[in-house]
Amino acid sequence: MPEMWRVFWDGLSAPAQDALVLVILLLPAVLTGFLTLRGYRPWPLIAALLARNRWISLTFMLLVAVSVAITTGLTSQERALREGAARAAEKFDLVVTAPGSDVSMMLASVYLQPADTALLDGETYNWIAGNERVTLAAPIAFGDSYKGAPLVGTTPDFVTHLASGALAEGQNLTSLFDAVAGARVPANVGDVIEPTHGVPESFLAPASDALSHGVGYRITGKLPPTGSPWDRAVLVSVESVWEIHGLANGHGPDWDGTLGPPFDADRFPGTPAILVQADERWANFTLRSELSSERTMAFLPGAVLARLYVLLGDVREMLSLLAFLTQLLVTVGIFVGLTLLTRLLAKRLALLRALGAPARFIFALTWGFAATLIGLGAGVGLGLGLGTAELISAVVTARTDILVEARLGWSELHLVAGFLSITAILALIPAAMTMARPVMDDLRG
Amino acid sequence: MEPAIRVRDVIVRSASGRDLLSIPELDVEPGEAVVVRGPSGAGKSTLLYALAGLVLPTAGSIRWGETEISSLGDAERTRFRRKYLGMVFQDHLLFEELTAAGNAALPSLFAPKAERRAVGDRAGALLHKLGIGAEPRRVTTYSGGERQRISVVRALAGDPPIVLADEPTASLDRASADQLTDDLFALADGRRTLIIASHDPAIQARAGRLVSVVDSKVRVSPYA
Repeated sequence: MPEMWRVFWDGLSAPAQDALVLVILLLPAVLTGFLTLRGYRPWPLIAALLARNRWISLTFMLLVAVSVAITTGLTSQERALREGAARAAEKFDLVVTAPGSDVSMMLASVYLQPADTALLDGETYNWIAGNERVTLAAPIAFGDSYKGAPLVGTTPDFVTHLASGALAEGQNLTSLFDAVAGARVPANVGDVIEPTHGVPESFLAPASDALSHGVGYRITGKLPPTGSPWDRAVLVSVESVWEIHGLANGHGPDWDGTLGPPFDADRFPGTPAILVQADERWANFTLRSELSSERTMAFLPGAVLARLYVLLGDVREMLSLLAFLTQLLVTVGIFVGLTLLTRLLAKRLALLRALGAPARFIFALTWGFAATLIGLGAGVGLGLGLGTAELISAVVTARTDILVEARLGWSELHLVAGFLSITAILALIPAAMTMARPVMDDLRG
Repeated sequence: MEPAIRVRDVIVRSASGRDLLSIPELDVEPGEAVVVRGPSGAGKSTLLYALAGLVLPTAGSIRWGETEISSLGDAERTRFRRKYLGMVFQDHLLFEELTAAGNAALPSLFAPKAERRAVGDRAGALLHKLGIGAEPRRVTTYSGGERQRISVVRALAGDPPIVLADEPTASLDRASADQLTDDLFALADGRRTLIIASHDPAIQARAGRLVSVVDSKVRVSPYA
């Protein structure tokens, strides 16, 4: 790319670059349309031909629509999944757990998937919390549930962090058996809930072992929606979690009841994970090194996700290849279909030629007919693709609690624009082929 | 100026080499009404298509005025048809999804830009004159006779000096056929050349001259 263009390109904002790419991709279709239709307005005849061949036109249009829907649906769904997973992890800059698989621990601590985890002790917690760059070190203790929603023991500071500073309703944890419910937990402020031991379908505590602790938590606040599995979690004080399991509550005998750190290392029963926030974003990388030891594993969930995306890159490429092959096959199908369709129009086109219609008018009419079908199909396909992706997103969201929102992005628009341009140019061939047909035979046919 | 049609020693052969039409000599003067008659399959339609430049002769000459049609390229022949010819077909060949007015004004869609409005207006005026097409309804709701009259208006919308009609009354009942014949001759108004392929004695009776096609050979009769 010449230097001047590079400077111009780099000076554009990302949306401007995307818009420019869209225009460039659409340009062949627009130019073909302009040059082909210039001087004529064959739309009444195109509408008449579409109506006359309505069923075959509809079938053809649906073929185009389904192909566009498959391609745009696949790409938008894949992106929505990636964005949803990343959004769900964005509150978790750095997580420290006992050594093991960072993927398993990320699934457990960030996505609240049940897992068998070793515990970090009080000494370790204080070592982490005492680091000068650490502004938040919140224990995350799970294992109990309420109506299938995980009960997570933590600190009021973590609640504030998760709520981005402000609860949707009510107030934060102040007393031992206060609880803050996620946005999608079926409980309101003021309700008293009774958790059961274990998480359903968890090997930590099989469903048959699920027993009530005989303790009631009062819902004091509700979290705003986060688009993560935490929307279905109930946050309680970590001290209460330890207490109802018959353990020390993390504080010495002279504890005044204030929830959260500092904790007494000797009376700290352990926590599966600690969420850490640094004073500066870049410091998370330093902390990852500093907090990784023989006893601990510090990981950045964002980096783990990025690694997973790289690992899943092959699947993504395969999806892209499948989408491309689908599109290629359909494009070939469209070409063959257009050739057959124009034969259906042969008698009408012969009539127009007999009446003195110039070759370019016939060409414009035939191309316009094909382009209308392709354009309508692509438009319907975009809607269909988005609708399907939204449906799949809703199912994924319901099953994982990760908010997956499929929407049309630039890549889908680029894809459709490229498809339109290629097929618009391909449609010139059957349009040209109609000119070679014998008028007399077609008129009599 | 309206062109006279001069045909000399024309032979039209199929791709397989079979003679489809032979015209030793045929002259049609401007304003003449000529009826082409002959049994089905004899070559009447082929004669009309050859005169229209839709079928090129294998040998011989077809001239419109000073212009040798067979030596023109496809685009030029099309331009000649648009300028000088109106065509009516046996099964009217209308666009069924359009209204009567839409069908009648069809040539306005591809007429030269400067003439489009005039062509459309003329089509509307002719329809009005025939008393059809006032309502914006699809052409399929009209009777067969009305549809054929709409196709006559379509043929005349470009105000061509020559009208070729291929069995225009063949699929009509007697009353409709008579109505159509009246309209065709009235709208031709003695100013246009009419060349009609027809079995219909009523049309033959109104012809200035009869041309017979028998076994693919054209024979010209001097009198009607």
